[in-house]
Amino acid sequence: MAVLAVSLLALLPLVSLVQVALFSDGAGVAALGADGLSQVRGTLLLVVGEGLLGAVVGTAIGWLTATCSFTGRRWLRIAQLVPMAFPAYLLAASLIDWGSQRGLQIHGLAWAVGLLSLANYSYVFLLSTESFSVSGRRLLEASRSLGVGPWASFFRIALPIALPSIGAGVALSAMEVVNELGAVRLLGVPSLSAGILDRWQVDGDPQGAALLALVALTIVAVLIVGERLLRRRSRRWNLEGANGVEPLWPLAGWRAALAQLTCALPPLLTVAIPVLWIQQGWQGLQAEPLAELGRLAGRSLALALAATAVTAAGALLLAICRRWLNAPAVRQLSFVAGLGYAIPGSVLALGLLVFGGPLGLSPVLLLLWGYGDRFLAVAKQGLDAALERIPPSIDETASSLGCTWVEVLRRVHLPLLRGPLLVGCLLVFVDVVKELPITLALRPFDFDTLAVRVFQYASDERVGAAMGPALLIMLFGLAASLALIPSLERRG
Amino acid sequence: MKSIHTRMAGARLSVATLSLSAISLTAITGILEAAQAQNRPQAVNVYSGRHYNTDKDLYAEFTRRTGIQVNLLEGKDDELIQRLKSEGANGRADLLVLVDAARLYRAQEANLFRPIRSRELNRDVPASLRDPGDRWFALTRRARPVMVNTALVNPNLIRTYADLARPELRGKLCLRNRASVYSQSLVADELVRRGAPATRKWVEGVVANRKGSFYTSDTTMVRAVGQGQCGATIANQYYLARMLRGDNAADRDAAKKVRVVWPNPTHVNVTAGGVTRAARNPEGARRLLEFLASPTSGEGYAGANNEYPLKGWGNNPALSAFGTFKASPVSMELLGRRNREAVQLMTQAGWQ
Repeated sequence: MAVLAVSLLALLPLVSLVQVALFSDGAGVAALGADGLSQVRGTLLLVVGEGLLGAVVGTAIGWLTATCSFTGRRWLRIAQLVPMAFPAYLLAASLIDWGSQRGLQIHGLAWAVGLLSLANYSYVFLLSTESFSVSGRRLLEASRSLGVGPWASFFRIALPIALPSIGAGVALSAMEVVNELGAVRLLGVPSLSAGILDRWQVDGDPQGAALLALVALTIVAVLIVGERLLRRRSRRWNLEGANGVEPLWPLAGWRAALAQLTCALPPLLTVAIPVLWIQQGWQGLQAEPLAELGRLAGRSLALALAATAVTAAGALLLAICRRWLNAPAVRQLSFVAGLGYAIPGSVLALGLLVFGGPLGLSPVLLLLWGYGDRFLAVAKQGLDAALERIPPSIDETASSLGCTWVEVLRRVHLPLLRGPLLVGCLLVFVDVVKELPITLALRPFDFDTLAVRVFQYASDERVGAAMGPALLIMLFGLAASLALIPSLERRG
Repeated sequence: MKSIHTRMAGARLSVATLSLSAISLTAITGILEAAQAQNRPQAVNVYSGRHYNTDKDLYAEFTRRTGIQVNLLEGKDDELIQRLKSEGANGRADLLVLVDAARLYRAQEANLFRPIRSRELNRDVPASLRDPGDRWFALTRRARPVMVNTALVNPNLIRTYADLARPELRGKLCLRNRASVYSQSLVADELVRRGAPATRKWVEGVVANRKGSFYTSDTTMVRAVGQGQCGATIANQYYLARMLRGDNAADRDAAKKVRVVWPNPTHVNVTAGGVTRAARNPEGARRLLEFLASPTSGEGYAGANNEYPLKGWGNNPALSAFGTFKASPVSMELLGRRNREAVQLMTQAGWQ
């Protein structure tokens, strides 16, 4: 029942959207056309490029900080959360602006892949480092005592075990990329998300938009299925707690330096872009009135916290139900409910408007609904992966000892899921603070948030005015990542 | 271990409390907002595609004079149109303010505006800058001149937009991308004045003359001209004015090297507003529109973004330095009507 309810809530906007696409009097289902094809190609290249680069960077840093010891490791570990705190559209806007002041035209696919990898590799890092530090510790120790070197034990033991988590991270970041709008537009890369919006809003062709949205959905479905297959192939239950002292591979000399450089580079680059901009054009900085800034921040914070609570509860419910009722229908429903992540935020928002407008639902409610729908997958992905590491025998033991399912949840699953749940909450929080299209489309009168203001200024080509609220978004992101330190430190 | 556990529990508890209070906070805001809207039948709700803090001063001035509260929702033009469309008869906006003729036409075609009769608006807004059916009225004007680096391009070469296709300019032109509504409306202007065959030839020539990739912002193009990477570009006048009047020294220096060349005639576009069909306070919306279009506040509305008022040239020193121009006679309505055709033509001629 609960699964049905949550999935239904997640699906309603989509259904109303499909209805519009099918029954409106648009220009008819147009073929993709040359524009459509270049948009599909652009998005595919972005997904593949970002997926590869993000996977390599995220996994490397995840491994280094989880299993090796070198000076500054703890700090560098926490620093990996910095890039997530920066909205990609702001990075793009400030980089383009900085470049153009130096006579450099920053434009095109390569820059887009680099920027998006920078903005999204943290997904891979977070999920893989979690896996590296929890799973297969004993196997690793055993392999080391048998004389297997660090590289071999990485490729032959740790990597296969971590593959589901890495896959989940790559899938999440790739979905961000499919959805990315502001940055790719500024960099002049044709993309599905822009194509969907333009067809819908500019050409007045909802069917054409629905067609493109279908292509985007397909790409994401392929991503998710691929990740599933990976996970199935390497499913291993593993429940070694944080007991005992974990030996870390000590790195020294050039090895330590290389590790430090690898871990420091991405966060440094992210911070460097706005800092370079400010250093070059600080005279152009325009401060928002402080009271206004406070109001913007208050709204962002309240929305993000509320949305995080709603989303985490929904995700937990779905993940747990999926484990308990191992019926294919439940599995499929919970899979489909997560697809909201694949749909461009603005399209999702339109679905909610079409559906919620006539019912007279409060805009704030619609807004929270939209966030929950959009980010359910973010919270769920990590939970699903973590639940799969818990052997079913534990549930069975608990049940046979007379625990009801509520007790099993409270006494067994929740404590074991604490880490991934916290990571999920953090990701949702940061995502909501940065979120743009849904907020832009659904917020009530006089209810701008930080992200909205940043985007409005940036799209007016006033990067100086955008910097103030943008720095606040970054601060929120950093504060949220501080909340994660205990769970990272627990094993460090 | 234990201390960590208690800490974690504490953290969880505080997160939960925070979330709960946030939920109640947002719920309360939502309820308050709804209650406020009901208690103030007088208020005018505005959807606006402009984002200038100084606009709010003007709205406050309107409230001071009339007692009518203004509720504001700023967004991207196309998104606001879509929002209003999907809200249908439940639409929350009384006044819709949009930038660019193409968007106004889109909103008009979606039947979002209602015609209004107003002697003041007919007096203050020239006929070519308003809808012939009285559904929307311009509030400010902007122009899209050619900007030249005189060290690289002889400004005397350029007397009309057509001259930008001259072979002498090969590899010297920086162009804004097709996705920009500014480019689209410029080509629509040419289409109306010179017909499809001539415009197609012109677009092909201009595209052949371009240097590098198409740009996604006007500011970067103006900079590129100032720095000498391009000889010429076409950009809205306020971007150059903003750089000249801004606090960034490097930008000011670059902008000083840019010469504005006014093609005869020059393409002009508008910010305009109209009372929505779904308006619950059409009377208040009309009064706000009249207030914004009036010469005194029009100057303020235009000044925020270094734009031109509806009539005359205003008193902005940066704009005065650019000189005056002969505006294209093409009406805003026609620019919107020919937009789709312009985009098709650009696509076929390789304007990306």
